[in-house]
Amino acid sequence: MFRMKLYWTFTKKAFLRSAVYRFDVLSRMGSNLIFLLMWGSIWTALYAGKESADGVTFQAMLTYIVVSQFLSGINGAGTPLWDMQEKVRTGDIALELMRPFDVPLRYLFADFGSVAFYFMFALLPVYILVFLFIDLTLPMSWETWVLFLITAFIGFLIRYCIEMSFSFLSFFLVETGGIVDIFYFAMSLLSGSVIPLWFFPDWLEKLAIYMPFQGIYYIPTSIFIGKITGVEIAFSIATQIFWLLVCYGILRFVWHKASQKVVVQGG
Amino acid sequence: MSYLPLYFKLVGAGVRAQLQYRFAFFMRIIGLITAYAGMAATMWVMLYRFDALGGWTFYEMLFLLALAVVSWGCCITVFFHFKSLDTYIVNGTFDRFLVRPIHPFFHFMSMKFDIGAVGQFIFSIVVFLWVSMAIDIDWSVWKVLFLLSTIIGGVLIQGGMLVIISALAFWTTKSEQFYWVAMYPARNLTNYPLVIYPKLVQMITAFIVPFGFVNYFPSTVILGKETPYFPDFVGFLSPLVGVVFFLLAYWLWMSGLSRYKSTGS
Repeated sequence: MFRMKLYWTFTKKAFLRSAVYRFDVLSRMGSNLIFLLMWGSIWTALYAGKESADGVTFQAMLTYIVVSQFLSGINGAGTPLWDMQEKVRTGDIALELMRPFDVPLRYLFADFGSVAFYFMFALLPVYILVFLFIDLTLPMSWETWVLFLITAFIGFLIRYCIEMSFSFLSFFLVETGGIVDIFYFAMSLLSGSVIPLWFFPDWLEKLAIYMPFQGIYYIPTSIFIGKITGVEIAFSIATQIFWLLVCYGILRFVWHKASQKVVVQGG
Repeated sequence: MSYLPLYFKLVGAGVRAQLQYRFAFFMRIIGLITAYAGMAATMWVMLYRFDALGGWTFYEMLFLLALAVVSWGCCITVFFHFKSLDTYIVNGTFDRFLVRPIHPFFHFMSMKFDIGAVGQFIFSIVVFLWVSMAIDIDWSVWKVLFLLSTIIGGVLIQGGMLVIISALAFWTTKSEQFYWVAMYPARNLTNYPLVIYPKLVQMITAFIVPFGFVNYFPSTVILGKETPYFPDFVGFLSPLVGVVFFLLAYWLWMSGLSRYKSTGS
């Protein structure tokens, strides 16, 4: 039984809490923009005045980076991985377990709230300005916009499931430093967040295609710039849904095991 | 000068404490090396279909990265504790640094000596050796001395930045956040050759937040690269910039301290 009203409360609370920590929102926006500047400059230098590379125009590539930075703003606005791990380490997670709600869903709905606040008051206005001042391509048809929104949302859910599964690993391992770093690396490279998959060496592209990460940034962003079109879109969405189901299954499994094995560290 | 033995005593205690958790220590080093290897791998993938980034090849970029990593490693060993000054101020635990008969700046600094930086050292030494073989860098004595003095300069610049960030906590009771807003992205920017950025950004990294002196300007000297907008000798200035910037940071920290009022909690 799913009690929408209960989880909706978490969304509202998280929204209001973000409104209180305005400095956090501002600083996150600032560092997002610095990374945008960095990757924008890198791609400008890589193209080095060339009109297009591998059939992708410079303008489309710049759009790719802007959109993917925008999505990384969205994906980074929720509960951070270390925050969850800290809850396990300090034993605060025990309080969550005692309450009558499902922990993975409770944090997902809370994330909706903080993402909504960050989106409305920081990301959206700033990125509208970016699109106004930089010569970028916008999708022509409304269908592309809708497909972009859908795939970006599925990507968000995939990322949430993977990241949460990783953070629940701290139930089993006291120190997860190394594993988390490998996760972040795979996430940033194989998701195509900074380098689109078509520029990868062939073997790496194949590897990336068989991983869930591409659904987070590569698929929505490529649809946005018109690199993935037609039947390929249907195929991409099917891949995303497949990975979402798998990752959700993993999250459920890890959470099931974790909640049975609560070791409170001297809490 | 009785501060030096005292420093080693305090630091020794810290190191022993960290070595109590051997598995954690080991995992952290693995993690650090993975993270930096990931950055190097990203550079490699990026250059797979393109020849160079702003005239810099893959190996030259690796050198640039390794120089940044090694001086950051030294820097966090000594100065990383400053990042978390805000928690001491908010909790009111900072007062204990003021009631003891040693200099508070020194005392705060020696509270933590982060040996996790072993990861940074392993990564950068491996990369330096690899790059030197790949592009035949001829390591004469002066080049080695130049590199060492550059690293000292880089440590002072980044350490100075950490000290400035922590000094802000005296006025705003925040420091950790400033680290994530200002220093973390700025350090990432300098992992790539500054020549690719707009002129304004290059000027900022030269004159305001002098991170360009940590790795970019000195690398242009060793690798024989051009630095548009800047004179050729700019790469030799790292140690000087480091000393001046650190003194400035120290002065700011001390003036922050003089207006510190305990939260009384």
